[in-house]
Amino acid sequence: MSQNKTSTKSIRELKKFSLFALIPLAIFSIVLVVPFLRGIFFTFTDWDGFDYTSFVGFENYVEALGDQEFWDALWITLAYVVASLVLVNVVAFTLALLVTIPMRGVNALRTFFFVPNLIGGVILGLVWQFIFGQALPTISENTGLPFFQENWLLDTWTAFWAMVIVTVWQMSGYMMIIYVTGLMSIEKDVLEAALIDGSSGWKTLVMIKMPLMAQAFTISLFLTIRNAFMAYDVNFALTGGGPYRTTELISLHVFNEAFGFGFFDTGQSKAVLMFLIIAVVAITQVIISKRTEVQR
Amino acid sequence: MSVMRRRAAAVAGVLASALVLSGCAASTSEPTESAASCETPTEVTWLNTIKIEIQEQFRAAVDEYNAVNTDCVQITILDYPQGEPFFSVATPLYEAGNAPVVMTVLQELPDMAPRVMDWTGTELAGLAAAGTLDKANIDGKQVGIPVTAEAFGLLYNKAVLDEAGVDPTAIKTRDDLEAAFKAVEATGRKAVHFSGLWWSLGAHFTNVYHATAAAEQDGRLAILDELTAGSKSLIDDAQFTNWLDTFDLLKKYSIDSASIADTDYDQGVENLATGETGFWFMGNWAEPNLLQTTPEGSFGVMPVPLSNDAASYGNDGISVGVPFYIIIDEEQSTQEERDGAIAFISWLLTTPEGQARWSGPIEEDGMNFIPVYSGFGVEPSTYMSQDIAKYIADGKALSWINSYYPTGLQDVYGAAAQKYYDGKSDRATFAKELEAAWKK
Repeated sequence: MSQNKTSTKSIRELKKFSLFALIPLAIFSIVLVVPFLRGIFFTFTDWDGFDYTSFVGFENYVEALGDQEFWDALWITLAYVVASLVLVNVVAFTLALLVTIPMRGVNALRTFFFVPNLIGGVILGLVWQFIFGQALPTISENTGLPFFQENWLLDTWTAFWAMVIVTVWQMSGYMMIIYVTGLMSIEKDVLEAALIDGSSGWKTLVMIKMPLMAQAFTISLFLTIRNAFMAYDVNFALTGGGPYRTTELISLHVFNEAFGFGFFDTGQSKAVLMFLIIAVVAITQVIISKRTEVQR
Repeated sequence: MSVMRRRAAAVAGVLASALVLSGCAASTSEPTESAASCETPTEVTWLNTIKIEIQEQFRAAVDEYNAVNTDCVQITILDYPQGEPFFSVATPLYEAGNAPVVMTVLQELPDMAPRVMDWTGTELAGLAAAGTLDKANIDGKQVGIPVTAEAFGLLYNKAVLDEAGVDPTAIKTRDDLEAAFKAVEATGRKAVHFSGLWWSLGAHFTNVYHATAAAEQDGRLAILDELTAGSKSLIDDAQFTNWLDTFDLLKKYSIDSASIADTDYDQGVENLATGETGFWFMGNWAEPNLLQTTPEGSFGVMPVPLSNDAASYGNDGISVGVPFYIIIDEEQSTQEERDGAIAFISWLLTTPEGQARWSGPIEEDGMNFIPVYSGFGVEPSTYMSQDIAKYIADGKALSWINSYYPTGLQDVYGAAAQKYYDGKSDRATFAKELEAAWKK
């Protein structure tokens, strides 16, 4: 009797599950799981973008790891990840603190800071190409402003920082919203208690607010790390990997390897390696961040 | 800015061709009239428009063919963003089972060879000029047929050279070239525009060295083999040093101090067309652009002399070659589609109407292609085309050897050359980087 009950219940559960989850699950499998598995499969073949004729074992991975350009791309990507991770979050958190101060026009400011995020990467690249290539040098010529006399996009390291600046400008608003949500979710009574206990503003921020909104940090850090590792559009539209292919981030490098040079097998292997690196870094970050979260 | 300008030009082109069509046939509203009258016209897809410079003219030719053909064929152009790598467009289409029927490629020929039609024994392959089929003959299979011949070298503005008293045909050595540069500067103009575009440097300027590195094609290809094997030292090659000397000379007399900021194609057009400079390293594809800016001008092309020995091989030649081959998919297309494609290409290359489209002047909606098939009643009549025809007739056409570069190599070459051009690497580093490009 009771067994019968559970089985009808589980059937009902299953029906409910199918109703809501089957379609998204099917779509998820078709556009993500299947291509992903196929992609991994191809890395063990001599795939040329059209067909494969034989299995080659780990040869593609050996070749990918032996490619100096792959390592160059990886290093500059790491530098880019670190720089944008720090700057995006510092700027975003500062902005979040600013726009949670009760004052007039705060909502307008929030919208204002968020807008860059709504501009597509390619258009954004073109706009900033103009700013770095034409606007800033012209301004600096007429005003004697240092730093910007030369087009930043023509030198490896200034081009690198140009990418970071654009990324910060684009991403900060989005992360700001997450931090704002975190700040607002802190119960007022806790803050009042801190105030009554005589905690200073700085102390309240570091000792009370930040631990209580650690979840916001987990999410923001995860998103920034992932976005920075996978950055493609800003790289493509702003520097195109130039000057002389020295600012090719890993995504663009993989794209060029496959579609530019026609080495689909090694290109795909590099993509898999990139996936592994991102997975390891992101999971480590989430585990560490989770530990600091306060359970309420 | 340049993007905007090109957009605007494209829009103007569409308007112009629309006007021409409505004027002569009133068929713009139903450009596919006769194809549409069939029950089910065979749709033949053509990937892209051969090249951006003549895209409106190509579209007009397709529209005309769709309107007049009686074979029930409907040609459809599959557009993809210019500048995208060919593979990034072709492989997804193949993967989806939607392979285009007709494509135009060059360095991808070996990759595409297993999946395309063999042109051996076809009428069109029979009409193609001697030598133009070789590159697309892979292990006995005629993978593609040539689109046209193009040439590159030092373009010159005849009016400027006349004023400076420079005769381009008298420039035989590097020193002669420098003297000519000085003569042009003496008239208060700048000598040369040397673009820092990666493809111009990587594919075309490096071709000048590789095409003159040996007097015979076998010797030149042997150098490419040595580079692949890693046994070639470029810096020890006298012709390579000559090439670097000329590279430096062009940099020295360039209108702007050479910097990779100088990557605006339109700026080169502007400078040469308006006589700001006397020379520009570019190819004949720029002639329509130049004539658009200065319609009454005469623009020619001359060799890039590398050696100071006038008798040295290649000092008196310009690089001439086939920039694209037409290939037809055999893997996913039907026999009807292939027949339709061949019918369209035959119409373009063998009928008076098609030939007028293919080789007629730009202002009459022609594509201004130098024909490489026998039986052409139309010849491009522009100054530069005649210049090129003269070089070909005199046997002074240098090999377009960059078509033997593996896919993507010209990008690496371009990056290395930009670095040298920009003063960021010395001769030895540059040579090493070019050698490293082959080790992939």
